[in-house]
Amino acid sequence: MLLLTATLAEPQHFSLLEKLLLVVLVVASVGGFWLRFRVVLDKILKSKKDAGFHLFPIGKRVWDFVWEVAFQAKVIHQRPLPGLAHAFVFWGFCAFVLVTLNHFASGFGAGFLDPAGYFGRFYYYLAAVFALACAVGILGLFIRRFVVRPKWLGKKLSYQSGFIAFLIFLLMVTYLAAFFVSDADPATRVLWWVHTLALLTFLPIIPHTKHLHLVLSPATVFLSRGSFSQIPPLDGDEDFGLVAGTDLTRLVSLQAYSCVECGRCTEHCPAANTGKLLNPKEVILSLRGYLNDLGPASDAPLMKSLAAPQVPFQCTTCGACEFQCPVGIEHLPILVGLRRGAVNTGAWEDEYGSKLFLALERGANAHGLPASERDKFIQKAGLPIFDGTQEYCLWLGCMGGYDPKGREIIADFARVMNYLGTSFGVLRKEKCCGDPVRRLGNDLVFQQLAEANLDAFEQNKVKRVVSICPHCVRTLQEDWKDYGTPPPVEHHSEFLARFADKLPKRSSRRVELSLNEPQPLAANSLTRNPREAGANLPDLSKSQPQSPLSTGSEEKIVFHDPCYLGRYRNVYKQPRTVVKLAGELVEAPRNHERSFCCGAGGGLVFLGDETGERVGKVRAAELVATGASVIGTACPFCNSIFRDALTEIGESAPQLLDIAQLTARGLPVSGAS
Amino acid sequence: MKIIVAIKQVPERDAQVRIDAAAKWIEESGLQYALNESDAYALEEALQLKEKHGGEVVVLIAGPERIGPTIREALAKGADRAIAIDCADLGKLDALGVARLLAAAIKPENPDLVLTGLQSDDLGQGQTGVILAELLGLPHSSLILHVEKTDAGLTVKRELEEGWFQTIELPAPAVLTIQSGGNKLRYATLMGIKRARSKPVHQVTAAELAVDAAPVVVLERVALPQKQKSTQILSGTPKDAAAALVEKLKFEARVL
Repeated sequence: MLLLTATLAEPQHFSLLEKLLLVVLVVASVGGFWLRFRVVLDKILKSKKDAGFHLFPIGKRVWDFVWEVAFQAKVIHQRPLPGLAHAFVFWGFCAFVLVTLNHFASGFGAGFLDPAGYFGRFYYYLAAVFALACAVGILGLFIRRFVVRPKWLGKKLSYQSGFIAFLIFLLMVTYLAAFFVSDADPATRVLWWVHTLALLTFLPIIPHTKHLHLVLSPATVFLSRGSFSQIPPLDGDEDFGLVAGTDLTRLVSLQAYSCVECGRCTEHCPAANTGKLLNPKEVILSLRGYLNDLGPASDAPLMKSLAAPQVPFQCTTCGACEFQCPVGIEHLPILVGLRRGAVNTGAWEDEYGSKLFLALERGANAHGLPASERDKFIQKAGLPIFDGTQEYCLWLGCMGGYDPKGREIIADFARVMNYLGTSFGVLRKEKCCGDPVRRLGNDLVFQQLAEANLDAFEQNKVKRVVSICPHCVRTLQEDWKDYGTPPPVEHHSEFLARFADKLPKRSSRRVELSLNEPQPLAANSLTRNPREAGANLPDLSKSQPQSPLSTGSEEKIVFHDPCYLGRYRNVYKQPRTVVKLAGELVEAPRNHERSFCCGAGGGLVFLGDETGERVGKVRAAELVATGASVIGTACPFCNSIFRDALTEIGESAPQLLDIAQLTARGLPVSGAS
Repeated sequence: MKIIVAIKQVPERDAQVRIDAAAKWIEESGLQYALNESDAYALEEALQLKEKHGGEVVVLIAGPERIGPTIREALAKGADRAIAIDCADLGKLDALGVARLLAAAIKPENPDLVLTGLQSDDLGQGQTGVILAELLGLPHSSLILHVEKTDAGLTVKRELEEGWFQTIELPAPAVLTIQSGGNKLRYATLMGIKRARSKPVHQVTAAELAVDAAPVVVLERVALPQKQKSTQILSGTPKDAAAALVEKLKFEARVL
């Protein structure tokens, strides 16, 4: 009850000397802040304007701002404890805006919040709650940084951060303590001045430390590029990507200065986790260093500021960094931008890269195989040619058209489409969608491929596209927009999930007789059609009592989220719906938006050997460790990478099946045409 | 060092070739065209020589209107300018006629070196380069993998059969026909394509060159090869089968 009767104590009178001192200190502090902040602001504003940036539609920006900044929801969701601690500090600061304004006004005898008045008393109590939470929060963050010390915060202890934490703690404590003293108490004056000094010391430290994120990151979040991993259009004839300082745009500069150095990007980066040179946090900090040292008007190559020229080329474009970043930094446009700068000017020399580019300059696919190989497959698999009358154009992609395993996935998916009675056809001629060149920064070849394919879609009157490859889906739907209007594209997981109630479902009693010997099934004319399944069940269990799977437990399937389906397209539920039809879904330790890349993306699958540990091997081991008997994939590239990784394990390795294959093996053997 | 690279545009490697109604040539409509492979290596060799010794690389091409993209590709990869001989009936010409056209365009340029691909991917005669040397009155060497400029002239690495190489010296200027695979090809870049727009392309006609390119070799008939398939199953233990396979690859298929 003491608390509710207590009011915030304020010194009642300030001498002229005190007022003069206050003026000098405020001017010095604000001046110190402004002198340093102006430099930063100047570098951002003198950077190049962002081509293709629109403030509208503004709805998503407002939502992102409310959700990520005001509610701190992303930080809390991704890391609950430190996230909440941070949110308390942030909300404390917000609540303190009014308190602080009144604090300084009262120093000049112009205080507007009366501690005894209704609103004043209410607000001071409210602020006290926030101050308490903030003090606890900052103490927690201090302990995390200096005692727990997660390795992503860096090896070096930042004493500056410690000092800032101390100042914030001091601010809150001096505020709270003022509830326990009376106005006349000399301690009140001391508390008031300590609070003032802490604040005025804090302010000029902001612009040259990571605490600049306090000022910039709300703007950074609000001024995002608009969608995940959005690669901006090149602006005019002299724009080849990020080559020199003159290519740094305002958004890039703003983001570079917003970095709070928390290291979430690096913590989740597949390259950084497998001993490669790429460290996304360091890339952002190098750009900041470049801006500080050379500025946005410099002609010096940006690559020189990186640890090595191959750094951006070790990125799998999995997007974990961009997804995780709490201050709105968009790493992918930057990393791809650096690649564009190197590739579009011919500075990047890589044997495999050149081979890939030459293959796509001349031929139609990333594998460098003759297009007739695709024709042969279409004939052999009996795939109908798209003639404008069918509902769907089934996009094969390089993996579906040329890769043996990709072809199996296509054939199985076609079986499912036939079973569902969906009409579809494949294009007579198809070129690579351009994903590898888009991510590697070869705008010339990407444009050629996108335009040729868009043209083929238009000539064939394609209305809807379905693909087994998340890379194709993303590239067709989003990246081709630079050169035309692609038809709606969906991933086969979305297609399959929509028909979930029409697809065969295995109950726990259903058994897979033998995956490798479908013949006996057909011979026994057993059907796996769900409508007739009930009638056949007793016979099945009798005829195969020795099957290990007929014991009542469902087959465990661990699903691997492909980066380009999850983080890029926000599709997590649909493939799981499909997996659950085939068996018991098991989650990998890192799943959904935290899924760990297979290592194939960003064109890297075509670039020869990795340095350090193989990303795919690490992920495969993680999937195997779940004890599942099947690894379910939804991307032919992941599938291909895991196929290699599992070979090393040998015969005890789990089975590797795409979701289309998981579905197809539940179809009736006879009757599917 | 002024280097002229004679290049040719040929149907794309994957092209589904059809024979035209008269069975005298292939049906050109609907075909995609690309730079002839060994010509691409000739261009690469020229660009590398220029990077080392400075000078100028000029591409020379004869063909109908469709050669535009191939010229731009060569300029984008680093050639300084192009000479395009307007030649709508390239398919009807023989190697001598083409070489006459090329020689007439090369003479006034007085180059230090003339490079061209070993052979074209469509006709594969391997004649144009050597006839060109004869017409220009220059020494020549064929099947070249690598060219080095020396004080006395040139040192070249020549591919012989069965994995043998020959290094020879010859005076410059000379005509060299370049074998595929000696270098790593560079890829075309956006910057290259944009820079290529402002590079000069000099258009000339056969009449302006005062050349009679009428063929002396007449093409009688073109036909698609008969499809043949002979699969052999090698039986026995894996060891015996592998040994038999190696035998066959060595002496029948001659790929080892």
